[in-house]
Amino acid sequence: MSEEQINIGGEKKAPQAERLSAAQNNTPPALPAEEGQAPKAAAEDAVVLEGVTFSYNEQPVPALNNLSLTVKKGEFLAVIGHNGSGKSTLARLINGLLLPDKGKVTVFGMDTSEGKNPTEIRKRAGIVFQNPDNQMVASIIEDDVAFGPENLGVPREEIGRRIDWALRAVGMEAYREGAPSRLSGGQKQRIAIAGVLAIKPDIIILDESTAMLDPRGRREVMEVVSRLNREEGMTVILITHFMEEALLAGRTIVLNRGEIVMEGTPAEIFLHSERLEAYNLSLPRIGKICKRLQGAGIPVADCLSPEVLADEIAAAAKQAGAATSGERYVPAPKAADEHDWDIDIRDLTFTYSSKSPFASHALNGIDLHISQGEFFGIIGHTGSGKSTLVQHLNALIKLPQAQKKYRPKKPKKGQPAPVLPHISVGQFDLADKKCNFLNLRESVGMVFQYPEYQLFAETVYADVAFGLKNFRKGIEKEEEERCVREAIEMVGLSYQEIKDKSPFDLSGGQKRRVAIAGVIVTRPHILILDEPAAGLDPLGKQEIMELLHKLHREWCSTVIIVSHDMDEIADNCTMAAVISKGRVADCAPPRELFRREEELTSLGLDVPLTAKAAACLAKLGYTVDTDFTCDDFADRVISLFKGGESHAQ
Amino acid sequence: MLNDVTFGQYYPVKSFVHSLDPRTKLVLLIAYIVAIFIAQTFYGMILCAIVLIATVFIARVPFGSVLRSVKGILFILILTSILNLFFHGGEHLLTPESWAIKIYREAVVFTVFLLLRLFLLVMASAVLTLTTTPVRLTDGIESLLTPLKWIKFPVHELALIMSIALRFIPTLIDETNRIIAAQKARGADFESGNIFKRIKAIVPILIPLLISAFRRAEELGDAMDARCYSGSKNRTKYKKLVFGWRDLVAAIVCAAMIAGVVLFNVYAADIWPQIYEYIIIK
Repeated sequence: MSEEQINIGGEKKAPQAERLSAAQNNTPPALPAEEGQAPKAAAEDAVVLEGVTFSYNEQPVPALNNLSLTVKKGEFLAVIGHNGSGKSTLARLINGLLLPDKGKVTVFGMDTSEGKNPTEIRKRAGIVFQNPDNQMVASIIEDDVAFGPENLGVPREEIGRRIDWALRAVGMEAYREGAPSRLSGGQKQRIAIAGVLAIKPDIIILDESTAMLDPRGRREVMEVVSRLNREEGMTVILITHFMEEALLAGRTIVLNRGEIVMEGTPAEIFLHSERLEAYNLSLPRIGKICKRLQGAGIPVADCLSPEVLADEIAAAAKQAGAATSGERYVPAPKAADEHDWDIDIRDLTFTYSSKSPFASHALNGIDLHISQGEFFGIIGHTGSGKSTLVQHLNALIKLPQAQKKYRPKKPKKGQPAPVLPHISVGQFDLADKKCNFLNLRESVGMVFQYPEYQLFAETVYADVAFGLKNFRKGIEKEEEERCVREAIEMVGLSYQEIKDKSPFDLSGGQKRRVAIAGVIVTRPHILILDEPAAGLDPLGKQEIMELLHKLHREWCSTVIIVSHDMDEIADNCTMAAVISKGRVADCAPPRELFRREEELTSLGLDVPLTAKAAACLAKLGYTVDTDFTCDDFADRVISLFKGGESHAQ
Repeated sequence: MLNDVTFGQYYPVKSFVHSLDPRTKLVLLIAYIVAIFIAQTFYGMILCAIVLIATVFIARVPFGSVLRSVKGILFILILTSILNLFFHGGEHLLTPESWAIKIYREAVVFTVFLLLRLFLLVMASAVLTLTTTPVRLTDGIESLLTPLKWIKFPVHELALIMSIALRFIPTLIDETNRIIAAQKARGADFESGNIFKRIKAIVPILIPLLISAFRRAEELGDAMDARCYSGSKNRTKYKKLVFGWRDLVAAIVCAAMIAGVVLFNVYAADIWPQIYEYIIIK
């Protein structure tokens, strides 16, 4: 284990441990390449920051503090850090969008502060931003990709060649004449990368470019980026929250309060769990499992991929002579046996802009039952219809029979009567015109994606009280205040401190909490959240999920989350449905669902890493019967060893 | 609320008319409007109508969607026809002498003519928007305005503004729908109450939308900067509109139509003098 002793924090790296490089076999050979070109590379520093300090006008604390960093040509550097650690500021300084207060930023020897030719610097260092929607200027893809070269005055024929090349590099050549609004997030972001590539930069900076994408989109983008680094020798600076992405890099730095606090290969960084936590970065899931196993005295080395983890466990199990199958999983008894708030959906179909040439079928016959008391997960890709589905549950989209204009059609002779969709939520029959939809919405709370973008009032208090006043007209002032206070305290904020502040002055995480408070203020029985953790850093995600569990325990009998993060589903949900192409492809507790790896993969979905590790272990001859939460997985593995010991005695 | 806003009117099929150069279509539309206003005989008008109907068929767009475009100005049409019918003077009285309302034959003819003109005008414009994407239309307008660069008119900037606006309309519509849904989920009511209540109800939509639009604008500005945008100086343009044989065919057809209209004006006056007497616009 001694080879695992690694120095970090700006010191020279220790040689990489064998098993770590095994985990990285897909990564570009950044390190060897660098060593091979060492004499030449020394002359070619792509980016040099020397003692850079930068602060935004309003803030007293600098966003970057005396930061020095050198990025070599052809290097793949990952920058991680919690929200507000100065990552984005770093990106903007390199590209010359911001200029340092103190210190010097040079890109290929050009000083960004000299300001003679910002275009020259931007030509060499391109940035891809977070929101793919906000970086496109044209409604046709090739026009958008052409924007950069047009600005540089590149001749027409050459622009055509560059568009060909850039779109091929991101694998989007088939969409050349398409419209970006019809693309998925991942595809849009690849177009944004193509737009930067068309400038032919030497450095490409990705400023949390994958934060808003689903796992498939994230994979697409990362494949493109690592190929560019490998094949085109492009220098990549990747700013991210995701460990899987940082692992692709040759070197990783960790920022905290505008300073580089850790530096090393990604493997080195992620094995230092204690320090990561100190910098408000959560330990990756797999690290948690390793720590727990080690805590139980099982000799597994820290590792970063589920396959390696399975190998480690199997090796340790062999040595210890452990049992080949652990304790059987006993499902926990259901908390609520009531069915007052069951949700029942039958034959639900829905078509957007029907009767127009743009009609698209969002839902094709959904049958789903959600029992009261579940922490229910709805899984599916962007565009699978999951958002449309949940909007039916509180009648934001009304069933055709419930609409004012609805007249029942007489069935044609000889044809069976058309099947009408049915939804009931508790006693509410959503197919009934007379259903009290306002009461329904009070009982079924809905938190949309990025709910903080819906805040509008002058004070946090007024915003949280908005729903309350709508639902309970003429509510007493004292009662109102009590409800608002309880809701704000429920989401973990201090009522006195925050109630008179403007919601727009809060931090990102706080805004989201306020937005959630604005929904739960009426104490809904059922709470639906569309991607509640989207765009947050790992710690923020963890906190939001903890909040949801608290709500599930104390206030809401049923919580439904829409998500595409399988680990999130595995760790939190008691039941999950997979929506694909407007149908329910599968509905089962995670324990059963994630065993069907092939089925999920065929739908283009992933399985959580615990399921991957369990599948690998099964191949190696060890059965782990788990519900796939990190904790339970670790416990089951530990039980293998315990069983093994008792077996041996 | 905004469910029925489909962006633009473009009807996506492939046809002769769809593949015409947008500049050709714009210029021909103007020529067509000129033709229907110089036409002073029924024969000329009928010729114009036949050309339009033929164009609609060649364009393979449903005739209903072309007709529907008239719906928007229906009120104006009815109002102007009533006014014209009752207040346009003339010599041949149609109504009995004793009636207070007097309608003359000349007024009827004039009204029919006016209606035809407006119908054809609106429908011809609809054919343009149904067969041309907003993007192509913008390209066409930019190209046609290029000569104005000589008088320092910011053609490029204007085109870029239009292009960005087009690009963001679908995004902002999506966003509006999402905000409406979110506020509805919090019990907001946009559909009942008097006008003041409704205006007040819009605030929770408007403020988030404005804030989001500003945020997007800021990010877009950064992204444009990062992609080396520095105004129209030394800029090249990738897309070039090229005229093809179709444009020539369309231009010839249009020229023939205008010629026909003029010929009717000159010669058809004698063929049917009785009608000509009433319909000439004085």
